[in-house]
Amino acid sequence: MKLYSLSVLYKGNSKAILLKAAYDVSSFSFFQRSSVQEFMTFTSQLIVERSEKGSRASVKEQEYLCHVYVRNDNLAGVVIADNEYPSRVAFTLLEKVLDEFSKQVDKIDWPVGSPATIHYAALDSYLSRYQNPREADPMTKVQAELDETKIILHNTMESLLERGEKLDDLVSKSEVLGTQSKAFYKTARKQNSCCDIM
Amino acid sequence: MAESTEEVAVLVQRVVKDINNAFKRNPHIDEIGLIPCPEARYNRSPIVLVENKLGVESWCVKFLLPYVHNKLLLYRQRKQRLNKDELIDVTCTLLLLNPDFTTAWNVRKELILSGTLNPIKDLHLGKLALTKFPKSPETWIHRRWVLQQLIQENSLPTFVKKENLATFPTERVQRIVQEEVEVCGEAAGRYPSNYNAWSHRIWVLQHLAKLDIKILLDELSSTKHWASMHVSDHSGFHYRQFLLKSLISQTVTDSAILEQSPLVSEHISDLPKDDNEEDTSAEHHRVVDLSHLLEEEVELSTDLIDNYPGHETLWCHRRHVFYLQHHLNNKLPHSQMRLSPVDSNGGTLNDLNLSPAVTHMTQAMDVDGLNDSNKQGYSQETKRLKRTPAQDSLGIEMEHRFIEQILSTCRNVEQARFANAYRKWLVTLSQ
Repeated sequence: MKLYSLSVLYKGNSKAILLKAAYDVSSFSFFQRSSVQEFMTFTSQLIVERSEKGSRASVKEQEYLCHVYVRNDNLAGVVIADNEYPSRVAFTLLEKVLDEFSKQVDKIDWPVGSPATIHYAALDSYLSRYQNPREADPMTKVQAELDETKIILHNTMESLLERGEKLDDLVSKSEVLGTQSKAFYKTARKQNSCCDIM
Repeated sequence: MAESTEEVAVLVQRVVKDINNAFKRNPHIDEIGLIPCPEARYNRSPIVLVENKLGVESWCVKFLLPYVHNKLLLYRQRKQRLNKDELIDVTCTLLLLNPDFTTAWNVRKELILSGTLNPIKDLHLGKLALTKFPKSPETWIHRRWVLQQLIQENSLPTFVKKENLATFPTERVQRIVQEEVEVCGEAAGRYPSNYNAWSHRIWVLQHLAKLDIKILLDELSSTKHWASMHVSDHSGFHYRQFLLKSLISQTVTDSAILEQSPLVSEHISDLPKDDNEEDTSAEHHRVVDLSHLLEEEVELSTDLIDNYPGHETLWCHRRHVFYLQHHLNNKLPHSQMRLSPVDSNGGTLNDLNLSPAVTHMTQAMDVDGLNDSNKQGYSQETKRLKRTPAQDSLGIEMEHRFIEQILSTCRNVEQARFANAYRKWLVTLSQ
């Protein structure tokens, strides 16, 4: 039961802008960590770009679940977790973080912000605390406001894309991903990851 | 780019040497990995050592692997001689790239048997290989062979008898068991439902720890948190089922003894204790309160099912625990699980009156162990369960109430499905 990343983004007209992020890649192999982190940034941005304002969704990709909440004011949050982590807690966390963020960071800074310029330091401790869903939020069972039927479920990343768009193309064009990450993506795509040697 | 045979040979020799040097420079390397790197950087070694992590750049693998693979096969076919150091380096390189290459492990077996290679090195190499290939079947298989060698080495005693009390494992064995448990735990964390890792852990408890009660109890408590944080890990929960079943089989649970148990434990505390062995002897002789352990397991199951809806593993686990509880509660005559007294020789599979086919497998993998692997036994037990009197129906009633509570409050489709399936299963039991 793991949380891998927690990010706050702004849904601009054409692009999603990363404002702040926290990552926990400690459970990945040492040499994969930087690529995995880049991928989580890439994925978070892509998901926010393809999600409607005022929506919540969970996107499944292999053994990961990406939970996204895009508010009506275009402030968005993405939690990337494994498939054991209770989604209800993930959405509680997103609600809480975005609420706090919007009170601490001026709205005017959102469309032009970046992790370097935004002053919000709580993400790392939220990510760490919420690793154990029960310690973090004992009231998780009581979720009066959240209507689970309104959460859109996507079985693959592909289903977020436009017709004709390929994930491979988006990966190779991405500015967020370094060459090593792109190479990592290529080999991971080719292989069934459970028996790979290369 | 190296392409000609001579260039490849030179490259490979350099890489093998670099790997060897890396281990010499840093004896604390604890992880290996592949670095995706499609092209070689001019004249730089593909071997990267960062902190305690050893990385191999991917571009060199397509040259390296076939070359060393071929080299070893030629040696095996007696077409090429290799001295012992070359063999050790070549097999080490091969196994770090592909630990399922059985021949390489077998060459190392020969080196161990001839006294040229310290078996501990293979435990270390295996542990490293598992950081990248946590399921690798051949690695786990070889590991068990090595452990058997170590245990038999010097014909050192592995268990000690204390006065009239039962045998329990020596410190050396305890350390080995502890290390194995750690290796299994790490591998289990690197791959979900890592059957091979958990089976190895079971094997270790059966054949090295001989199902020692204290170790079983320690394992039960130390895996509780892990299981709670890996609620879809079938193998992890299966391990807990194994521990509970083993505790049942290793403890005297005659109904008379169960009733007397407060008296028995008092009596034990009056026994003269060794200065050094105070705690261990008492702990090895406490009467295990099985009902309490099973109740705790049911509580754990309830707690996890409530908090993490929609995980089939948790419901499967509940079935197993319920089944065990009702064996115990009804104090049925256990023809399948003849319970060995506490002071027997660690309780081997032989004591459990299993079918002959199973008892021959003392060194083989018998992950399900005990009576569940015997299909006939299962249906005999279920028949007995179905004939049981009112005592049992109280437990079943409570389970039905639990299911009702889940169904009336859950909002998860899968959870409802699992609850209904569980209800159907309970109904078949009481028919």
